Amino acid sequence: MTAIAIVVFAVAYVLIATEWTHKLLAALGGAAVLLALGVTDSEHAFYSPDTGVDWDVIFLLFGMMVIVGVLRRTGVFEYVAIWAAKRAKGSPLRVMILLTLITAAASAFLDNVTTVLLIAPVTLLVCERLGINPVPFLIAEVMASNIGGAATLIGDPPNIIIASRSGLTFNDFLVHMTPLVVIELAVFTLVLPRLFRGSFAVDPERVDDVMRLNEREAIADKVLLIKCGAVLVLVFAGFIGRSLFGVAPSVVALLGAGLLVLISGVKTRDYMGSVEWQTLLFFAGLFVMVGALVKTGVISRLADAVGAATEGRALLATMLILVVSAVLSGIVDNIPYVATMSPVVLELTKTVADPSQANALWWALAIGADFGGNATAIGASANVVVIGLALRAGYPISFWEFTRKGIVITAITIAVAAPYLWLRYFAFA
Amino acid sequence: MAEEFPVVSLDSEAREAVQLLAARRLPGLIVVREDGTPYSVLPASQVVRFLVPSYVQDDPSLARVIDEPLADRVADKLSGVPVRKLLPSEPAELPVVNHDDTVLEIAAIMARLRCPLVAVVKDKQIIGAITASRLLELVAPKD
Repeated sequence: MTAIAIVVFAVAYVLIATEWTHKLLAALGGAAVLLALGVTDSEHAFYSPDTGVDWDVIFLLFGMMVIVGVLRRTGVFEYVAIWAAKRAKGSPLRVMILLTLITAAASAFLDNVTTVLLIAPVTLLVCERLGINPVPFLIAEVMASNIGGAATLIGDPPNIIIASRSGLTFNDFLVHMTPLVVIELAVFTLVLPRLFRGSFAVDPERVDDVMRLNEREAIADKVLLIKCGAVLVLVFAGFIGRSLFGVAPSVVALLGAGLLVLISGVKTRDYMGSVEWQTLLFFAGLFVMVGALVKTGVISRLADAVGAATEGRALLATMLILVVSAVLSGIVDNIPYVATMSPVVLELTKTVADPSQANALWWALAIGADFGGNATAIGASANVVVIGLALRAGYPISFWEFTRKGIVITAITIAVAAPYLWLRYFAFA
Repeated sequence: MAEEFPVVSLDSEAREAVQLLAARRLPGLIVVREDGTPYSVLPASQVVRFLVPSYVQDDPSLARVIDEPLADRVADKLSGVPVRKLLPSEPAELPVVNHDDTVLEIAAIMARLRCPLVAVVKDKQIIGAITASRLLELVAPKD
């Protein structure tokens, strides 16, 4: 059974990484084979929190997708982006900095793909008005999105998986991840002019075209905007006050989504259309496959091997997880990577006596996986989406055009994160 | 049943093709290869789609933030562009019928391909076209 679990998992992983088949087919196909061969069963696959589908993750994603589906109808994101471009007074560098910071901030609360789907059209509009190449702007924004998404529990799907497996709360992410992300964004902003040197020349006469954009027209329904704002406040209060209310983030998101649907009057077809069913099913398939590895003892043996290699030294294990996660997340999608590594890290944390240093392993996994997504053009779903949007607009971005910038940014962000982890959890612990 | 209909080649100027569509209020144009054989039908709706920037198609709310003088410049995209650029990147099935096809056969092709215009060929050469309105004129009950 162990050998079957490993082979099925490896084959599915190769198919997901190489995209020889659709990743949903690979994940569900792998889960189906494991169920059919009796490696796992319905009890373990559907009802066990350790070896089965993590319903907290699935329903947290589902709830946030519904909320975002309604929120994006308000036009508030377009309003803010155009307002920022006008505040930059048409200076391309200032426009890039403001749009990347807005993207990063939004990514902390929305999923990264949604954020770049919202920011990319505005960016194409502004760059067209300025008569400049939008490619550097789009690349900078998607990188900011991958960095900003690391800040909160709900900002990036890997964080949601990590939170569910580790028991870390929304507030834990705010306290431990957000400060690092703020530092990373400051460094990122300083690097932008050098990274995209030569991309900021503009004809002064084109600036007026940007200043004539009317951001107020982007707000289609002010009442809906107010309702969305009120529900979002309640949802984040629920996330932050988990210890007070004792309600899991998945339940908070579901209740928020239900309330918003009730009061917004948005039609079922519209808000359900924003739910990415393929993503949710992909997660379910992954959980079943990883659960089979847990059930057959593969994960605990892998954790033992990593523990032996690091000889129980938490700092070494933390740095190893950070770097390996960054490298592997650039090569394969960071969602299956984190789904696989979470049980391994869970086992490793049991060998570390200091709870703060045990949690450092989780933060290293989150940082490595989230920032590693920037390394290549296929490292994160948001990268693929932006490249597709750019191509449709007539601005193809080659794999290497993205990757040669991505490797630099990943190296810088990991180089900043390593001393952060060391100083915060080991040097002054 | 077929009527004479203007044709344009793949490398014709898009601007001239659009002027033809506009001046004669046509539902579309027949696009031919260099040898005169039909290549595709360019519906007017496809031209409109080409004129709308991709970012507005992705986010229709952006159409509202662009003021009138800027919006009026959408046709600038047609400058120096050949007709082939207006066609979808993946060529759709050619809406073409034989000169002796029945009204129902023609209607079936129009309905299936959702095309307001079909080319009529005889011996692989275009002899005219049938528009949806011409088809309806033929089948509409007479008072």
